[in-house]
Amino acid sequence: MAEFLELFTYPFVIRAILAGCLLSICAAVLGVILVLKHYSLIGHGLSEIGFAALSISAAFGLSPVIISTPAIILASFVILFVSQKYKVAGDTAIAIASSSALALGVLVTSMTGTNSNAYTWLFGSVLALNDLDVILAVILSLTVIITFTIFYNRLFLISYNEEYAKSLGIKTGIYHFVISIMTALVVVSGMRIMGTLLISSIIILPAVSARNISHGFFKLVINSAIISFACFVTGLLSSFVFNISTGACIVLINALVLMIIKLLKLRGN
Amino acid sequence: MTERLILKNLCVKYGNLKILEDVNLTVNSGEVVFITGQNGTGKTTLMKTIAGLINRSSGDIFCTPKISYVPQNEDSNLDFPAKVKEIILTGTQRPRKLFYTRSDKKAAMKSMQTLRISNLANRELKTLSGGQLKRVFLARALCGDPELLLLDEPCAGLDAESHEFLYEVLRKIRDTGTAIIIVTHAESDLDEIKPAKVINISHGRIS
Repeated sequence: MAEFLELFTYPFVIRAILAGCLLSICAAVLGVILVLKHYSLIGHGLSEIGFAALSISAAFGLSPVIISTPAIILASFVILFVSQKYKVAGDTAIAIASSSALALGVLVTSMTGTNSNAYTWLFGSVLALNDLDVILAVILSLTVIITFTIFYNRLFLISYNEEYAKSLGIKTGIYHFVISIMTALVVVSGMRIMGTLLISSIIILPAVSARNISHGFFKLVINSAIISFACFVTGLLSSFVFNISTGACIVLINALVLMIIKLLKLRGN
Repeated sequence: MTERLILKNLCVKYGNLKILEDVNLTVNSGEVVFITGQNGTGKTTLMKTIAGLINRSSGDIFCTPKISYVPQNEDSNLDFPAKVKEIILTGTQRPRKLFYTRSDKKAAMKSMQTLRISNLANRELKTLSGGQLKRVFLARALCGDPELLLLDEPCAGLDAESHEFLYEVLRKIRDTGTAIIIVTHAESDLDEIKPAKVINISHGRIS
């Protein structure tokens, strides 16, 4: 127990808890919208584009944040635009963009000898978090949570029925951009902790778990945030105790919770 | 009487295919207009064009901004995890309004009482019957206090009692000055409410 409590005396643990808890909450509430709108793949696509941006910024000795943030926001616009404009090609566009970006990232890291960084970028590392990362994650997460709160009623309406929203005179295109910017911000703020390959899991899994136990949209959002927060803290602390990868641990605990909820639901039925 | 809708030479095309051609129509406050016609003649396209969901190819639409449209089917969203009261409140949303007010919540409660569905407020859509869903969607349309109400086959699939109740509600709404356009196939609907006009659409034209 004493050893466990000693964890909280390390600055990197405090940094990870501070940045990660906010990140897990905002990823989970955003995930509700993405799951209901069948945009689940977008988070995954954007994170792989983030990997390419990180590789390129490292190759040119530039700040990863300064390069990856606008690159991911721009990519999110392009993916959503293509998804809207050419409905059939939406998931195909994401697959093409993400696999190409991943390949570009691998190529750049291998050509510039930054392979050692690649593992950290792909799978995340709480040890790599510095004060600037934490400040950035907190600011971006709070931006997402505030934006979600302000546009809650609109996001509900757009997720429920876009045609109906249009009949009320709502310009639905604006809210697609709001969703894409929020997704981009979550991916940027979560890449350092979770890694580019695992960040999309904490967007999607809590929302899917919560959907199985929630009655009504508001409760779905709240339950998604609670599940995500609980899984993040459990996963983070377990990874420290058992000395295993933090991102992977958080994702597996989220997956385990989903499996348990599904099994209990099946048993209940 | 105030004009709530004026259509002048309205045309709608999908590519080269003409769906609606030279449709002219005026609907005043407190009027009920029936739109009839065979399947595929453009009735739903007309309703969606008035509601702003389909762009017109030519012609003019002058319409009150306080308009509510209840489509024939909204089946694709029935799995959406929302309570009836959450869905009905959306009827008060407007382009420059992000938050619900206390009066919006009162309007939602009132419209649920009008449609006698207050007991369904905490139920999810997927748990409702077809008749209950019709009432929910009409309640949603009413809580926005519309000046023009567009109903696409509101009685399809309803039993006789629900059909009669629905027209009882529509007569009350009409008497408050709301203009109502109803797409229907049932001639019996003419006995339920006296329309100011009955318009038959054939091959995209008013015949």
